[in-house]
Amino acid sequence: MSETYDVVFIGGGPGGYVGAIKAAQLGLKVACVEGRGALGGTCLNVGCIPSKALLHASHLAHEAETNFAAMGLNAGPLSVDVAKMLGFKESVIKSNTQGIEFLFKKNKVAYVKGWGSIAAPGSVKVKGEDGSETTLAAKNIVIATGSESTPLKGVTVDEKRVVTSTGALELPAVPKRLVVIGAGVIGLELGSVWKRLGSEVTVVEFLDHVTPGMDGEIQKQFQRSLEKQGIKFILGAAVSGVDASGADLKVNYTLRKDSSTASLDADVVLLAVGRRPYVSGLGLEAVGVALDERGRVKTDGHGRTNVPGIWAIGDVIAGPMLAHKAEEEGVSVAETLAGQKGHVNYDVIPGVIYTDPEVATVGKTEEQLKQEGRAYKVGKFAYVANGRAKAILATEGFVKVLADATTDRILGVHILGPQAGETIHEYCVAMEFGAAAEDVARTCHAHPTLSEALREAAMAAAFGKPIHS
Amino acid sequence: MLKPMSCKLLVIGAGPGGYVCAIRAGQLGIDTVVVEALRPGGTCLNIGCIPSKALIHAAEAFEAAKAAAEANNPLGISASAPVLNLAKTVEWKDGIVARLTGGVAGLMKKAGVKYVSGTARFENGETVIVATDMGEQEIHAENIVIATGSVPVEIPSLPFGDRIISSKEALKLSEPPEKLVVVGGGYIGLELGTAYAKLGSQVTVVEAAPRILPLYDAELSAPVARRLAKLGVEVLTSTKALGLSPDGASLRVESEETARSLPADKILVAVGRKPHFEGLGLEELAIDMEGRHIRVDDRCRTAMRGIYAIGDATGEPMLAHRAMAQGEMVAEIVAGHKRAWDKQAIPAVCFTDPEIVSVGLGPEEAKASGREVKTAFFPFAANGRAMTLQSEEGFVRVVARADNHLILGIQAVGAGVSELASGFGLALEMGARLEDLAATIHAHPTMGEAVPEAALRALGKALHI
Ligand SMILES: Cc1cc2nc3c(=O)[nH]c(=O)nc-3n(C[C@H](O)[C@H](O)[C@H](O)COP(=O)(O)OP(=O)(O)OC[C@H]3O[C@@H](n4cnc5c(N)ncnc54)[C@H](O)[C@@H]3O)c2cc1C
Ligand SMILES: Cc1cc2nc3c(=O)[nH]c(=O)nc-3n(C[C@H](O)[C@H](O)[C@H](O)COP(=O)(O)OP(=O)(O)OC[C@H]3O[C@@H](n4cnc5c(N)ncnc54)[C@H](O)[C@@H]3O)c2cc1C
Repeated sequence: MSETYDVVFIGGGPGGYVGAIKAAQLGLKVACVEGRGALGGTCLNVGCIPSKALLHASHLAHEAETNFAAMGLNAGPLSVDVAKMLGFKESVIKSNTQGIEFLFKKNKVAYVKGWGSIAAPGSVKVKGEDGSETTLAAKNIVIATGSESTPLKGVTVDEKRVVTSTGALELPAVPKRLVVIGAGVIGLELGSVWKRLGSEVTVVEFLDHVTPGMDGEIQKQFQRSLEKQGIKFILGAAVSGVDASGADLKVNYTLRKDSSTASLDADVVLLAVGRRPYVSGLGLEAVGVALDERGRVKTDGHGRTNVPGIWAIGDVIAGPMLAHKAEEEGVSVAETLAGQKGHVNYDVIPGVIYTDPEVATVGKTEEQLKQEGRAYKVGKFAYVANGRAKAILATEGFVKVLADATTDRILGVHILGPQAGETIHEYCVAMEFGAAAEDVARTCHAHPTLSEALREAAMAAAFGKPIHS
Repeated sequence: MLKPMSCKLLVIGAGPGGYVCAIRAGQLGIDTVVVEALRPGGTCLNIGCIPSKALIHAAEAFEAAKAAAEANNPLGISASAPVLNLAKTVEWKDGIVARLTGGVAGLMKKAGVKYVSGTARFENGETVIVATDMGEQEIHAENIVIATGSVPVEIPSLPFGDRIISSKEALKLSEPPEKLVVVGGGYIGLELGTAYAKLGSQVTVVEAAPRILPLYDAELSAPVARRLAKLGVEVLTSTKALGLSPDGASLRVESEETARSLPADKILVAVGRKPHFEGLGLEELAIDMEGRHIRVDDRCRTAMRGIYAIGDATGEPMLAHRAMAQGEMVAEIVAGHKRAWDKQAIPAVCFTDPEIVSVGLGPEEAKASGREVKTAFFPFAANGRAMTLQSEEGFVRVVARADNHLILGIQAVGAGVSELASGFGLALEMGARLEDLAATIHAHPTMGEAVPEAALRALGKALHI
């Protein structure tokens, strides 16, 4: 035990690596322990980045199929070289993860390779690949160990035929029939990728709607637009198991409304019923770090666990499992440790689904406002009435702005539409300022842009009427 | 002679300025008439913003399909080399234009606006005569808005006609010209020139200034210049277009060093636009001009009571969204609301490849205003989303006051940055400081993440570079 770190992050995902960089920038002596052999965590290695690389690579197939003929373009039938596509994805992952190694060097963060555990407050034990053990002394320890795919009873994952998102990001060939269990963000994004590349995709979901927790109107329209692309949905269906004994996989399920049972044949099954916090091997029990009822590390809302000197951030604690939420928590804890006032505004965390059209939401849903009994008004605007959307053949979807009925303060924004993930940031900035719908309505928006639809929805909320519908 | 009409508000011209003014006025219960000589939607919907963006989109798609057909494309999606049917592309574009202009007509009707088709001429400050198909229509109005827009500037030695075309004709060619020379390296010339280069034309751009896009700073225009070179577009800067060669098949150009003759099937002249007042009878009014455009105050009032002017008729920046914002404001003023032009930011967007947006002050402008400024940029090469989109060219740049970090301007160049512009505008309108942008959570992975990173960098250190 040669040196004492001000802080050791366990886990080099977006929470851990960003926190480590920030802490180092603020003058602290920092180490980051990562076991998977590459920095960037789930997000960069098997999550956000590779999934978006495949969504981009397959986007052309979607465009060509749905839009080319209308524009006077004839490209002939497309062929897909999956190996090449995966090669593109790998190259994107590599440049991202290596970029973080470079940032660690630049900011003087010690990158400790191996699996960490907490021996005691102030002491992190690291087991290297070669079996060697080292111990790091740390004034503070931050648990940033992320999450893993939630298993489902009766479904045995082999990452070849029955896969999680990780396996779905490297299928060697386009499966003829893909069954996705779970209509959440991950299942729908990856289902879209393989649908575009030629799979028949069926999504089986326990609840009666897709994307649990999202605004109800968005859920409905989103499902419809995916159906139009040929994705099939079986809702209200509890999967009881996947039978992998034969040549075909059999997905058995029970319909909740009448308890009838049925099954689906598949070549590949993607299990995507959610993610759960990953704390195994950390030794939390021994040091007395408390978990909540769902196995998440309990914190005080500022990253502190119940044990002094031990902190936790990202997917391993409560809140939306999103990379930028993890990053923000990493920054916040780093600032707190450096003596500043770290803070995360949990009311303004955008969420994006990178399908076609995209979905982006921030703030409260209409259902939440109803439940809270808050008086609100709704402004809506459809992309069919937006010039830019017409010019790029992407008129599906709408913008929905929820504002306080008396003060006009923006409470939530829900978008189904082209480039929703980029355009929503305007509202994130607005909500950080506690802006009213009128503030957005009175801001000059460039023409012709998709963003004009966001403003028209604000006008509908603020003045009762948009101009263009 | 038709029966004279009278109204509270008369709008001349149904472009984005005029039609938005009329709709908003109608929504506010004002008795409104709009007069339009051609089609509703004006330059913007018929021969400007919308059709150009449709053509640009088709050209981008064609380019992507071509790239996919190349043996070394990295994505693993391939197709046979695509075939273009430009006549069909133009038909598609015309369909969009028809739906949008029809839509605008419908919206005006829904708002209770009366539409008169014909050319308007001022009789005096309260009366306008409209030449319609059915004869002259006299209209009296308490308030009149001049929203007559603009037309392309002609070069005397290169009069429009035959192979010399304006942006209007460039949007309805039946096939890509083999050789296209673009005179003028501003946004209109480059947007269309780039589209045709992608569609297969051999394009040369002639620009009198030392670099393209002279209205944007060199940092912003450099990525566009690089992309043009990659597309095989020849750019001749500090070069003047003189006139046609004797056989009429080439354009003669001259720079300090050389004189050349550029063979051209079409010559697109895009050297700017000027306000359009022909036949309007402005001489009957006592309003002040400022150069070629009408002088207005912060309420878009002209020197004559009851007469307003909006949009391109009021000069630069000649942008559709400025025209619309002015139109909305005037409608509200006529309705008795207290309004004045207090916009902090009018975004300017260039739909080139890559796109450019600029909101507020650039670094040089900010310094020229005598303030001490902090400026920083964040490159898309360090942005994960950009990598997944294969669009690593470009950056986001912030300009702020050094003393209190108040943001004075935000610019960006890169793929799809036009959609970041509204966020930039909103930040300026809210009086955001660098800390505000740095602390706003941006979704991962998005190009937008470059915004807080640029702000963090201006404050000292970015996280991802
Ligand atoms: C397919 C997919 C797509 C996604 N797309 C998006 C998206 O588009 N946008 C978005 O915001 N989010 C997305 N997510 C979610 C996002 O990846 C997570 O929210 C984010 O990665 C959480 O960051 P984290 O730092 O908390 O944990 P992780 O990224 O999971 O990182 C934790 C790291 O800790 C390491 N580790 C664990 N235990 C130990 C130990 N004992 N010792 C050493 N190292 C350890 C792990 O190896 C891992 O690298 C996606 C997820 C998936 C699976
Ligand atoms: C190729 C091209 C691309 C462009 N791209 C963009 C862009 O991407 N973004 C952007 O913001 N701007 C763009 N512009 C500029 C934009 O089109 C103009 O700024 C905008 O149209 C101005 O609106 P306006 O209402 O002032 O005038 P106009 O749109 O010019 O409308 C004026 C209307 O008045 C009518 N009119 C004129 N005189 C009379 C009369 N005497 N009686 C009756 N009617 C009359 C005309 O017929 C016309 O319909 C582009 C322009 C061009 C040419």
